[in-house]
Amino acid sequence: MKVTIAKIFLFMLAVVSLYAYVGQLVPQFEEHPPKKKVITPQTTGDDLVAAGQEILRGKGGCLICHKDQERGNERGPDLRRAAGKAATRKPGIAAEAYLIESMVEPYAFIVEGYPKMMPPAMKPPASLSMAEVKAVVAYLQSLGGAEVTVSVQAGDVAAGKKAVGPVHRGRQLMDANGCLGCHKLAGEGGAVGPELTRVAERREPAKIAQKIADPKLWTAEGFQAGLMPPRPDLPEGDRQEIAAYLAGLSGKAYSPTGAASPWSHEGVRLGVVIAVFNTVMLLVLAWARSREKSPLSPGPSPIEGEGRNAAGDAT
Amino acid sequence: MARAIATSAFQALKGTYKGVVKISVLLVLTYLIAQGLNSFLPAADYRSALGLPNRVAVWAVAELHLMFAAFVLGVPIFALITEIIGVATREKRYDDLAREFTKLLAMAYTLTAVLGCVLLVLFIVLYPKFTGILSKIFKPTWIAYIVLIFGEVIVAYLYWYTWSLLQGVRKKWHLLLGLLVNLWGTALLFVADAWVTFMMSPAGIDDANNLVSLWGVIHNHTWMPINIHRLLANVAFGGAIVAAYAAVRFLNAKTDEERARFDWMGYVGSFIAIAAFIPLPFAGYWLGREIYQFSEQMGVSMMGGSFAWLWILQAMLIGSLFLASNFYLWLGMGRIPGAERYTKFQIGMMIVLTIGFIVWATPRSIIATGTEMSAMGGSHHPFLGLFGVMAAKNTAVNLMILTTFFSFMLYRRGNRIPIVPWAVAGKALQALAIAAAAAVVLGYGVYSYFVPSITRIGFSVYQVSAVLTSMALFVAIDIPLLKGAREIGAIRWGHIPARAQYALFFLAVSFTWLMGLMGYIRSGIRQHWHVYGRVMDESANAYTMAHGQATIIVSCIVVVFFLLVSVVFWLAARGGEPAESPAGEASAAKAAGSAA
Repeated sequence: MKVTIAKIFLFMLAVVSLYAYVGQLVPQFEEHPPKKKVITPQTTGDDLVAAGQEILRGKGGCLICHKDQERGNERGPDLRRAAGKAATRKPGIAAEAYLIESMVEPYAFIVEGYPKMMPPAMKPPASLSMAEVKAVVAYLQSLGGAEVTVSVQAGDVAAGKKAVGPVHRGRQLMDANGCLGCHKLAGEGGAVGPELTRVAERREPAKIAQKIADPKLWTAEGFQAGLMPPRPDLPEGDRQEIAAYLAGLSGKAYSPTGAASPWSHEGVRLGVVIAVFNTVMLLVLAWARSREKSPLSPGPSPIEGEGRNAAGDAT
Repeated sequence: MARAIATSAFQALKGTYKGVVKISVLLVLTYLIAQGLNSFLPAADYRSALGLPNRVAVWAVAELHLMFAAFVLGVPIFALITEIIGVATREKRYDDLAREFTKLLAMAYTLTAVLGCVLLVLFIVLYPKFTGILSKIFKPTWIAYIVLIFGEVIVAYLYWYTWSLLQGVRKKWHLLLGLLVNLWGTALLFVADAWVTFMMSPAGIDDANNLVSLWGVIHNHTWMPINIHRLLANVAFGGAIVAAYAAVRFLNAKTDEERARFDWMGYVGSFIAIAAFIPLPFAGYWLGREIYQFSEQMGVSMMGGSFAWLWILQAMLIGSLFLASNFYLWLGMGRIPGAERYTKFQIGMMIVLTIGFIVWATPRSIIATGTEMSAMGGSHHPFLGLFGVMAAKNTAVNLMILTTFFSFMLYRRGNRIPIVPWAVAGKALQALAIAAAAAVVLGYGVYSYFVPSITRIGFSVYQVSAVLTSMALFVAIDIPLLKGAREIGAIRWGHIPARAQYALFFLAVSFTWLMGLMGYIRSGIRQHWHVYGRVMDESANAYTMAHGQATIIVSCIVVVFFLLVSVVFWLAARGGEPAESPAGEASAAKAAGSAA
């Protein structure tokens, strides 16, 4: 038996090794996420072109369908000729404006012979800013050997709505829980408690989250202790989000980890589900036990014990 | 008698309660460990554990959890199907087979749950920010998931513990329990799939990731295709594992009786595995189409980018599965008196399968030196390049499916000769259905080369429809055709070469490896995104590794999975033979007999 098991095991190893070996035969390369590139109105000329090339080949994902050199994909038009043809694509629209439009609203004009498949550059997954779009335009202009006319303005640098996770709810939560009744935030709110706009410069965000639940932790200088009502009833996650929002106002990155105490709402909810199922099962068991012992049932079965043992074994 | 039933019911409920307690303890421990670690460790977006790369740690545990989840969802489907066959045919051996595999569930559930708990702890500890975002979006679903877990545990344990109690006239209630186990399991799968598919094809949120519609989040582009794909794959996987188990037991059998039993068990397992495997590529097409619908860029990365090379590996695996399935069927015909009259078809089928395999595994771009590329006039070979496109591959896979189906039908009628008066016409109609489907597949395959890609994609629907229609027509004719058929001789169970058992084992290993590979591709095409296009992975592990490294990891996961499955089988075997029964077999059987 041992020999057969060993043979089967070796057979399995041979099969998985064969598949892994075939995996070594195909081209091997790692793909890394695109590097973050800071583009400002001061980024001009060759720097803007270089940034555009990097975005086109990385973050923009343009080369999945286009090519910017002899070898490459041909699902979309050849980018080496894009700037040269831009002026003649749509009547009444200048070359630079056309290039921007072709990235931001790709379906406004489809080049003949190509499918309608390009995702808008400023939407996910590329989510480029206008400054990045213009950098790509600069690169396309340089590819065609034309003069780079595009320039980045201050308004182009701001990113669109960025995916920032749960932080954005912080302000909403502060409004909903009446924090601004006593605290001032960005020029709004009362003066009973300290101004909170830059509070994260003085305190760690994690501590701010704790302070909401337990105001006794400290009292800001010049303010009366004991005025702030403790809010341990606020879910841990909500307190973390307020702290993250305040951290953001001070230019700090803080990610609430979602750490919750066993008595947080999540913990209590889980406990209730577990308790309900266990209680119901215990009640059903008690009922079954009473049925088993009921005097209305005939005398004990001679094989009752056998049944119990079998159940025990199986468990 | 009433006392005996009450005793059995009490024992069944007691056993079920143990399962509930086990899950309760696991959940409480997981929650306390995860939150404890999270509070204790410094706040961070990403953390690492023991110097291991986060992605690999989460990948390995997630894949093992998924494989066991597939096992515990696939086995009850397998058990219910065989139990129903047992009721329909009145053959007790089907009932015994279903029970034998249901017995594995308690242990397999525990392992699945432990792996799931480890995975959850890893997510919360290693990826706190990302987990926070996902748990916030999916908040209403996780509590439903836990309720479903308890429900699944209760019905699954009841299904096992009431096996003896619910026999005879009460059998229908046992079948209902089996159905509930599967419905509950399917609901669990669907909820978990919502989380996974949202990461691939997010929907139902605004530009700042605020929840707009929970149903939109759940019902994203890839949710339903993945649900169906996984459901079918679970059945195929469950059947393959059963067949592998039978193969191991066959090879270790000491008596002819044992050999006959495990040969039959292997056949039933492989039958269910192959039956579920045949429609899998169609479900795969649907998933692929939805990925393109969601994001052309993601679709192109998957099929035309760096991942394209892994499809060559996938083609090799599926080709091997087709060849191994047919090989097993042809060897199995050796123990069927009368099946030798179909041997003549095997060479032709072998040729179709081999050519199909070669075409499917032909890459579009050839790895070549600069000189070789100049000679070819590019990276595409002037002749072989024609077989590297989807037009050829679709044609190849449809013909392979049709051939395997035909092989299976020949196996089925091996020892039977139809005696109905319309037998000749019926067989001619069947042959015509197969030939027509093959002609449609080939015709559209060739025509595909002369039309634009957007038209070409639509042709695959006609090819698939032709194959499915011909299969349905074939079976619809076959059932009345073989009703009351003359039997040439009984199947000589146990009289099959050992290499057929290795073919079954090969099927199980290849299925598992394929699951690992496809899981990697599905997850890997998100590249450096946690949630594609929405939440970026900004950790040091965000890169996509080289294919060679990925395939080694998949191989290691498969080996660990089989070692763990062996432990489950070994522990179940230590618990005694299935005939020794779960709860109060003797008393319940007596009670059932009296009731009947």
